[in-house]
Amino acid sequence: MNRPAKLMIGLLLCLFALVLLWVFHAALMQSPGARLADLAMDSLPLSGVKNPVTAVLLSYRAYDTLLELAVLLAALLGIWSLGAATPGFQPAGAALAAMVSWVVPLLILTGGYLLWVGGYAPGGAFQAGALLGSAGVLLRLAGDERAGLPSERAQRRLVVAGIAVFALVGLGTMVAGIGFLTYPPGWSKWLILLIETAATVSIGVTLAAAYAGGKPRSRASDGATP
Amino acid sequence: MLDSLALAVTVPLLAALLVTALPGRVQTLGVIGAIATALVSLQVTVQVWQHGSLRSDPGGWGAPLGLALEADGLSAALLAMAALVALAISIYATGYFREGERRLHFWPLWFLLWSALNALLLAADLFNLYVTLELLGLTAVALGALTGQREAVAANLRYLLVGLLGSMTYLLGVVLLYAAYGTLDIALTGAAIRPGPVASAALVLMTGGLALKAAIFPLHFWLPPAHANAPAPVSAVLSALVVKAAFYLILRLWLDVFGTIVTPAAAGLLGLLGAAAVIWGSWRALRAERLKLLAAYSTLAQIGYLCLFFPLLQATPEGPARDDLLAALVLMAISHGFAKAGLFLAAGLVQHSAGHDRIDELGGTAQHLPAATFSIALAGTALIGLPPSGSFIGKWILMTGAIETGQWWWILVILIGTLLAAAYMFRVLSRAFNEAPTPRRFVTQASTEVPALLLALTSAVVLGLGAQLLWRLMGFGVVA
Repeated sequence: MNRPAKLMIGLLLCLFALVLLWVFHAALMQSPGARLADLAMDSLPLSGVKNPVTAVLLSYRAYDTLLELAVLLAALLGIWSLGAATPGFQPAGAALAAMVSWVVPLLILTGGYLLWVGGYAPGGAFQAGALLGSAGVLLRLAGDERAGLPSERAQRRLVVAGIAVFALVGLGTMVAGIGFLTYPPGWSKWLILLIETAATVSIGVTLAAAYAGGKPRSRASDGATP
Repeated sequence: MLDSLALAVTVPLLAALLVTALPGRVQTLGVIGAIATALVSLQVTVQVWQHGSLRSDPGGWGAPLGLALEADGLSAALLAMAALVALAISIYATGYFREGERRLHFWPLWFLLWSALNALLLAADLFNLYVTLELLGLTAVALGALTGQREAVAANLRYLLVGLLGSMTYLLGVVLLYAAYGTLDIALTGAAIRPGPVASAALVLMTGGLALKAAIFPLHFWLPPAHANAPAPVSAVLSALVVKAAFYLILRLWLDVFGTIVTPAAAGLLGLLGAAAVIWGSWRALRAERLKLLAAYSTLAQIGYLCLFFPLLQATPEGPARDDLLAALVLMAISHGFAKAGLFLAAGLVQHSAGHDRIDELGGTAQHLPAATFSIALAGTALIGLPPSGSFIGKWILMTGAIETGQWWWILVILIGTLLAAAYMFRVLSRAFNEAPTPRRFVTQASTEVPALLLALTSAVVLGLGAQLLWRLMGFGVVA
């Protein structure tokens, strides 16, 4: 593409952005105040958690989150369908290996903390899962071909665990007669924690497996205890 | 106390989890999952038939804080179509992906796609719709690239980027609506919306983003390569259901959210794009060298017909005439769903048996694959709009509406499109029948040929003769 055409497209995009900003300003001006934020804060005592973000994700709009987890799974299955992972890097040198053996347990510990703290402060399954995933990324960069994950069979079960627990809790509350994904009073906190724990594991495994970039290769140690 | 709306989403989701976790029994679990999903989807349609519309609140918070699932005649009709088409495709897939690595990848993605489709048709919340669009788009791309061939991967990478652009643009519109009206529920937003720059910008952004996904002319460039290079069952679901889902969403938004602010000019523009799609798509289908490419271009034209309804709906006041138009629109969408799925499945059989799908070299197909050829002919009946197909009734009401609202020029478009459709279908059939008659056996591989045949038969005969049921399902009076 020649320069004038590029310039023209840039100008048009700037114009489009300006129009959008103006419309967004107009939308904010005609706004009905705090929108749903007040309602979300007012309903917080009924939700079983003290952090409004966790309440939105796991209670008010839990069904959205269920489908979001399915999006993650679809992305990983899509990556797996394109073939086997490329071999990883060569084993790390002593300094990197020592750092990894320190950082990975810390990441897992911090992930557990974030999962728990999500009940009353910023945190939760997605943040904790991201930390677990980054532990997998570190392991792969340090030479572990499979990013610290178990065999393909086990990976398949781990990546579906989060959605499975989520959907089964939903079906359970439906069969109990209170409606799909409607937590009975008093149970909310523990059901949310159960769902979030399973989701954390699934998100972590999914992200690490996605970073490996393909279907896990079988290796000789499969089946043997690591 | 079972919530059929939630089940229609969770049953295929659980099926996807099972086939992911237990790859050893993927085929058996796939068939069981497909039957279960079709049953729970049809259950929703039956309940809408009995009680009118259904609504449920997952989480029990209710709008505006929580989100809701809702089924009315429009979504129930499309849900039933999706259930039957997807069931036929599932049975076809058991024969098509008989062994090998690919079926391990097909089934989990397929159930996730089905779940996304049901979730999209039942969603009553603008942000929830965005999530379903993402799930639908990702699974469709992954399934489309399943052959692993270079052209398929390239076409689907483009499809992925186009789809992301489309859903991001849609999301921009949702953000504007939430900022201005403080709710994401479709009914509440529709009640609060006022004409102004915000509503107009949201209308343009959301329609534009979805038009990209629905391949409305001139945003169709990604569709022919993506649909023509996918495995046959995937092409069928992309053309019959995935594109239709994006179109359904445009219709839903124009009816329920932007109903009060849509201007005749906006509807006229959509009609004009539809007219261009009818002529351009039919023309390219006539010139196509490959059967699957022909089917893909014909999808463009059929989406074009659906767009022609917008200016007429806009110009017709509430009442039986408008109800007829709306039901005719759904009837055409459903007929096309069945016909195109049947056509793609049959084209897959032809391609598998001949090793190619070049139309000029299809001589003798009628002798080798009589059932597949018959399916192509039946599907063609519906694509052209010959009686007794559902699209005959659809086109008839479309033309009546055009005369009654004084917009006679759309009739010319419909006539040209129909002539071109007849030409491209007969071009295929004349090649297929050009050898001596007496086929040996009508059906050669039942698990793949029977689903194609049933889909085509439904589009050509059942929907036309049973069209009145659709009016009843949508809660309208019976056609005059």
